[in-house]
Amino acid sequence: MHDGVFFEDQGLPTATVISAEFVKAARAQAEALGARQYQTVVLPHPIQPLTREEVRALADKAIDEVLARLTKG
Amino acid sequence: MPKDDRYLDPTDSVAVPRKTAHRPPSLDGKVITLLDISKPKGNHLLDRIEELLKERAKPKAILRRKKPTFARPAPDELRQQILSESDVVVEALAD
Amino acid sequence: MPRTTKRSSGPDSQADAIEDLYARGVTDGLPVIPPTLPRVERAIQASGRPADELIALVPPNYGRATVEKIAVNAVMAGCRPEYLPVVIAGVEAMCDEAFDLHGVAATTNFSSPLFIINGPIRKRLDVNCGVGVFGPGWRANATIGRALRLIAVNLGGARPGVISMSTMGHPGRYTYCIGESEEENPWEPLHVEHGFAPGDSTVAAFAGDSPQGIYDHKSRTAKDLLTTIGRSLGVVWHHKATALGDTLVVLSPEHVRTIAGDGWSKKDIQRFLWELLRKPVKELLPGKDGGEGLPESVLAGIPNPETDGTLIAKFRAPEHLKILVAGGTAGRFSAVIPGWTFPNGSNLVIKKIQTPE
Repeated sequence: MHDGVFFEDQGLPTATVISAEFVKAARAQAEALGARQYQTVVLPHPIQPLTREEVRALADKAIDEVLARLTKG
Repeated sequence: MPKDDRYLDPTDSVAVPRKTAHRPPSLDGKVITLLDISKPKGNHLLDRIEELLKERAKPKAILRRKKPTFARPAPDELRQQILSESDVVVEALAD
Repeated sequence: MPRTTKRSSGPDSQADAIEDLYARGVTDGLPVIPPTLPRVERAIQASGRPADELIALVPPNYGRATVEKIAVNAVMAGCRPEYLPVVIAGVEAMCDEAFDLHGVAATTNFSSPLFIINGPIRKRLDVNCGVGVFGPGWRANATIGRALRLIAVNLGGARPGVISMSTMGHPGRYTYCIGESEEENPWEPLHVEHGFAPGDSTVAAFAGDSPQGIYDHKSRTAKDLLTTIGRSLGVVWHHKATALGDTLVVLSPEHVRTIAGDGWSKKDIQRFLWELLRKPVKELLPGKDGGEGLPESVLAGIPNPETDGTLIAKFRAPEHLKILVAGGTAGRFSAVIPGWTFPNGSNLVIKKIQTPE
């Protein structure tokens, strides 16, 4: 979150991809850093036991949201 | 006297408000950095995101960068490099 | 039933403050001492430093650990004023870049900072280094460790379930502070091994899981005993974990006498354990004897992993096995404390305690 908040503050639109279990942590961290409005792209947890193909399928589901985070669209 | 005044605050509010970046209308012609935070599987996700970004937009370039460890913020040098060479960032994968 | 506990007729404002502080989320769940101005001022004074001196920024939120903020948390934890210099050195240690409190505070792993006190200050403050060393009963151990935990939460933001995502946590997250039993240590104590003078007092921060007990009542030689300890170390993290870094081996005085009696040095112990804990590639494959195993990146460099007998070490180097002496003088038990230790993870950091003249 530190990096994402830094890039946004410096003018770079950033999409940070996290798993659902970390939504609360990410929000708390962003708030503590002064970025209450910071939004993330959330994938279902868990990810570590998944195969390469299963992880790639998550990317297919998430791509719309990634694009939406980065553009005015 | 309010109750809280009877003892001192053990916390510290340090947050200074941060800005959110201005969004472009599309990613056409933009340089996109895909930042791998070095957690396992992040590279698989970013490989597919790279393919999808090429299908869905016409970026000028897609750059792959990697943090030495997910357990710390990116080193200053890497942050400055990303700032100087890219227009938008996708960071993955915190789980 | 008649009430046998004598009741005070004093005001209950202290009890209200305890409830308020709990409700604000700034405690560890146990009642804290309300940090009133006079209490905090006594603690600041005992540190011999100005109240507004900045000691460190506490990751991951980077709250400012000034002497005053440290004192407020130390008072809440129940510290005596003279403990302040120890707490301050502990803040310096856990906020050092090499410790990586950012990762330790946020990880899903078990880890918690363990603080190890060395030097003459142990006697002055009655820090327990002996019987029941990881247990309750000594105010210095109980409250210094607790103060540092409260600082990690209140200034660093490591609130459980919010920023701190440890799946299991562990009991040491209430307090985790021991002294080294230098009197029972025939070798250099931890701080001297790391370049400090024997007369210095220091605090080490080590990111550790809970202690894992090792029982050995029968070994009569250094080699036999260290083989028991080594095989028990072999399951740290999981039985196929490799490339681990700083890990603590806490030897009890009885075990120390067996090992030192055979003339072994600390370096001999580290080398022996490191060598014992190397395994052939073919025993470390994922999916064989459990899904865990060598990461893809390592396997990529091995043409025939099924038959390759190349030895891969559990620990990156012998010196990552940190040897400490502590615990009661009776009992043939030692303990291993797994670290938060993958490459670029947390390293043991030691800071000198600055006491006022």
